[in-house]
Amino acid sequence: MEDCQIMLQQKISDKDYMYPGHVACPGCGAAIAMRFALKALGEKTMMVIPACCWGVIAGPYPQTSLKVPILHTAFATAGATASGLRAALDMKEDTETTVVAWAGDGGTFDIGIQALSGAVERNEDFIYVCYDNEAYMNTGVQRSSATPFGSRTTTTPGKDWKRSRKKNITEILAAHRIPYAATASIAFPEDMIQKFNVAKQLKGGTRFLHVFASCPTGWRIPTEISVKIARLAVQTNVFPLYEIKNGIDYRLNYKGDRPVTDYLKVQGRFKHLTDDDIKQIQDMVDEDWELLRRKMENNLVT
Amino acid sequence: MERMKKQNGTEDIPLFISRSNITTEINKTGSWRFARPKYDEKTSPCSAACPAGEDIARIQMLANQESFKEAVHTILIENPFPAVCGRVCFHPCETACNRTGFDEPIAIRCLERFLGDFAIQESMKLPPEKLPENGKSVCIVGAGPAGLAAGYFLTRLGYSCHIFEASSEPGGILRWGIPEYRLPVKILAREIERIKDFGVKINCNVPMSQNFLKETKSRYDAFFIACGYSRSMQMNIPGDQAASDGLEFLRHMRREEITPLTGTAAVVGGGNTAVDIARSLVRLGLNPIIVYRRRKQDMPAFKHEVEMARKEGVKILELFAPIQIEKTGGACFLTLQQMKISGAETSGGRAVVVPDGRVTQLRRVDHVFTAIGAEPTEPWQFPPEQGPETLHLGHCTFAHRDRPLMFGGDLTNPIKSVTDAIASGKQAAMALDAFFKKGWDANADRLAPYRVGSGPALSMESYLKGEHTSRNRHIVSYEEINTDYFSTAARVLSASLAVDESVHSFLETEETYTFDQAVEETYRCFKCGICDSCNNCRIFCPEVAVVFKDSRRVIDLNYCKGCGICVVECPRNAMALEMEI
Amino acid sequence: MKKVLEGSHAVSEAVRLARVQVMSAYPITPQTHIVEALSEYCSNGAMNARFLCVESEHSAMAAVIGAASGGVRTFTATSSQGLALMHELLHWASAARLPIVMAEVNRALAPGWNIWMDQTDSLAQRDTGWIQLYCEDGQEVFDTTLQAFRLAEKVSLPVMVVLDAFFLSHTFEPVDVPDQDIVDGFLPPFLPRFELNTDNPFAIGQMAAPTIYMEMRHSIQKAMERVPGELDQVEQEFAATFNRRYGPMEAIHCDDAEVIMVVTGTAASTCRKVISDLRAINEQVGMLKLRMFRPFPTDLIRQVLGSAHKIAVIDRNFSFGVSGIFAQEVRAALCNYKGHPSVFGYIAGLGGRDVTPETLEEIYWKTKSTDKPDAESIWIGLNPYSSFQSRSNS
Repeated sequence: MEDCQIMLQQKISDKDYMYPGHVACPGCGAAIAMRFALKALGEKTMMVIPACCWGVIAGPYPQTSLKVPILHTAFATAGATASGLRAALDMKEDTETTVVAWAGDGGTFDIGIQALSGAVERNEDFIYVCYDNEAYMNTGVQRSSATPFGSRTTTTPGKDWKRSRKKNITEILAAHRIPYAATASIAFPEDMIQKFNVAKQLKGGTRFLHVFASCPTGWRIPTEISVKIARLAVQTNVFPLYEIKNGIDYRLNYKGDRPVTDYLKVQGRFKHLTDDDIKQIQDMVDEDWELLRRKMENNLVT
Repeated sequence: MERMKKQNGTEDIPLFISRSNITTEINKTGSWRFARPKYDEKTSPCSAACPAGEDIARIQMLANQESFKEAVHTILIENPFPAVCGRVCFHPCETACNRTGFDEPIAIRCLERFLGDFAIQESMKLPPEKLPENGKSVCIVGAGPAGLAAGYFLTRLGYSCHIFEASSEPGGILRWGIPEYRLPVKILAREIERIKDFGVKINCNVPMSQNFLKETKSRYDAFFIACGYSRSMQMNIPGDQAASDGLEFLRHMRREEITPLTGTAAVVGGGNTAVDIARSLVRLGLNPIIVYRRRKQDMPAFKHEVEMARKEGVKILELFAPIQIEKTGGACFLTLQQMKISGAETSGGRAVVVPDGRVTQLRRVDHVFTAIGAEPTEPWQFPPEQGPETLHLGHCTFAHRDRPLMFGGDLTNPIKSVTDAIASGKQAAMALDAFFKKGWDANADRLAPYRVGSGPALSMESYLKGEHTSRNRHIVSYEEINTDYFSTAARVLSASLAVDESVHSFLETEETYTFDQAVEETYRCFKCGICDSCNNCRIFCPEVAVVFKDSRRVIDLNYCKGCGICVVECPRNAMALEMEI
Repeated sequence: MKKVLEGSHAVSEAVRLARVQVMSAYPITPQTHIVEALSEYCSNGAMNARFLCVESEHSAMAAVIGAASGGVRTFTATSSQGLALMHELLHWASAARLPIVMAEVNRALAPGWNIWMDQTDSLAQRDTGWIQLYCEDGQEVFDTTLQAFRLAEKVSLPVMVVLDAFFLSHTFEPVDVPDQDIVDGFLPPFLPRFELNTDNPFAIGQMAAPTIYMEMRHSIQKAMERVPGELDQVEQEFAATFNRRYGPMEAIHCDDAEVIMVVTGTAASTCRKVISDLRAINEQVGMLKLRMFRPFPTDLIRQVLGSAHKIAVIDRNFSFGVSGIFAQEVRAALCNYKGHPSVFGYIAGLGGRDVTPETLEEIYWKTKSTDKPDAESIWIGLNPYSSFQSRSNS
């Protein structure tokens, strides 16, 4: 269960499919996520990127920051555009190339969920990646349905910090009974790359990866703890690492044992929370964890 | 495009779309940066605690990579006795180990022993790097660990060295004062042989006297006095002539000149010598009891040794001091005064005790051995306390008379250990060299750049390479380790003889690590402050700005935005972030 | 071979013969028959194509954008609300310069719900950068669809083939459907000017700074300006094979007409009859059928309409606060034309209300008898609200 904690970084390919000079904020978790993803996916990959931070990080005209083709597309369309691109490649009998939809949490949880659900229901043959930085960061940190309970954003400011829970996107995707849905974190590179490898191999259906990608700018944390905070999210079970095959076969990859306060207290977006609020969040996290644990125990597939 | 031209003839229709034709590499995003990461190796606490200043974290790393020869070289440059120290060192490194805060300290001594034995097995020579011969010669008095080490280090620095030893064989305390089950003679012999091969001349059976020094004065440019404490201190109580000299007993054992003994024995003292005597007596078939005036926890002997002695059946009587011995027939009657702790005062970390009224105990034993300390045999061996041109350097005392005269080893070391003796040999060598090159003034300061961490230990490696190579002396603390990259793991234990077996022989009680054990244990090591090429800095860089240049990692400042993730994700604090504004 | 087909199936047949590779659509009345037939073709092997049954028109357009970026021939179809939902991506498709062909069945926008003929849906998309071709009958629907692929792929712009709800989409007419090899001769396989390729990776559609955005937009306009010439070329080749051509507009009896009626879609057929009847009683009337609305054929409009006294534009659409959209565009085309005629804007047949010969005759007589239009828009056949409200309140 804790295998991903051990340092086995020799396993990580040294090949990069990303160029330096991109314009992500310093310490950007989403940039790290892309690096890891492409290490697994390789050059035979096409990226479909809707409006999101990566729409900027990928480079303005006439630049690109990736060594693979990128199709920029409208905000709500990642699932549909990727479906179309996949269909085109199928018609050209290109079965080798992996089509990847690479969207932020807004483009996945909110505006893109319809196209995503549609594509996933059709079980389109692509990998959908949501790199989740828990708000609309590109537009200036507005709340999304991925923003967690307790967080301040520019549209949940001051005393009106967000009081509704984060949408559980992975469970929504798993409910479509797709071949593979998994969570991953930039703080666990081997685990994440391994999951991208699994996703790459499982051709023929939709594979969904929910990648936790920290945002120092939006979360009001020092840039240098960007990876550390992502690790804390896992260590506190705020963001559990797990995989679901065919929507029913659950596998937990890591068991956290730290209190949520370790994760919350270092972030500016949570600094207003009282002990009672933190207790409430701990209860939510414990409840979610228990739910997940039961699902794993009740696996139909053993 | 060609085909299209033929077909539709529309290539002239304007088609100016947002499509890339260059990469983001033209954006020198390094200009955003206001803090700059750098590779900044620091000092591990084990290294700082090692009297010999061994670069332990690096040794662990090299062993982990199975580069055993390089690991051995890294030790030998600072300490020519890994097989010896791997057996008898009191390992302050392990006490300082950051891993203690996580689970258990690294078994550094066991790895050193493994590497020392590996070097012997592979007939490895001492690293050949030497400064050119400078024509100066040094006379070294005493072929114990301090003298041998001084000879070794001075030779490395280009001096010609003659060691004079009163006894029949070199090694000093190592040869005569430590029992075979802790340090086999053949192991010691191989490490001394290596020093001889390196060019150090050792002359044995030369009785040392003040006269000898006078006679030889003109032949040498400097003297190093390291003749150790070879005379046991006396108890000065009525009947104390009935007690045997403990050190003498150990010397006899090493010469295998022991007349058979039987019965019970009392060993007076709480140091390593007392424990060595007691454990040797067990092996000879006696029932020894250690009598110590303070508490067990105050015994200066190594805890590990005390524990082994207890397991082997040695009894320890604490808080009793002998006040009289009466020898009647074959038996000794020992009158013991009960002691008590005097307040909360301590002396060197040990409780201060005073007699507890008139409570005494009478104990009958067949033999009494004293092991309450030792001292130099002759007054000239005492280093000068004060005086013009006398320097106390920590491990040595440097007296500048008509010739440079250096005192070291047990004569000057605050901690009387083998490794401290080696440290004093090294310090003497470097101090003398600094003296010959730069003169007397500020001799101590000249060595400061080569200190390991904040302690007195010196690095011969950086002395040889020059001041600029000295490592950051910041000692990495446990809080500075990114423990997320480590999992708890039990310390790898070396195999040892069962107690019922060990008490019947002088075979080594502990075995050397196997290859696999050695490597396994090094996986536990944090390798505090040194880069072990884990690659985290490169892996996590969001900017793809950690690149390889000449197979070394460098930070491409054209693109580094200074986020500092590499510094935080470095598991072992081998990097640093410095402000640029 | 002549087949009796409804307008919807004329589209489907053309799409089949065009060897479209990826299609995507969401069902909306009255477009459904088009996509049902295409699904059937994919299912029975008549077409070697992928049909993506997506969950919205927004996704339908996104899917064909994705597919076209991958370098294959694409098609979609929609109507009304669906087209409105696509709006964002209509801009995307044209600015990405993707030669997507779409059949758009003109239908009214809600509320209240209305599935019948109305042109406001397609005309509301006039600024999206799509070429728009309006069809009069089943044969023209078929022919225009085939031509649309040639045209789109030549100029790297998307084409909307527009047909009236029900009057055309659900009306059966004899249509000449040629054999595949003949169509292949006219329409070769799609060879894209750019396509995503892992061997030559580049990004498309990324951020364009103020320093460059205008030039990109200008480039779209330059391509649009080439459309009339390229359409002419396509029609020449088409005529050589099929012996039919339509032009961007068709003028009947306009040379000596005092009143010219401007019509689109099936109303053109009605108008042909009305013109013929009026000419029989010596009325100096002509008609202009507008087929190509984008790009707007300004020069041709001036040539044909410039010498008439009065122009009557029949709009089955409305831009609230201004006027009928065709009338606006005709006025704009003529405003800088010396001594231009008076333009009468008539609103008729919204939301599926019939435009009968009588409607057009009424418009003609009204125009002839009035010196100058007394309003920007003249609503034909409008009943007082009270006649409805009294019923609903009772």
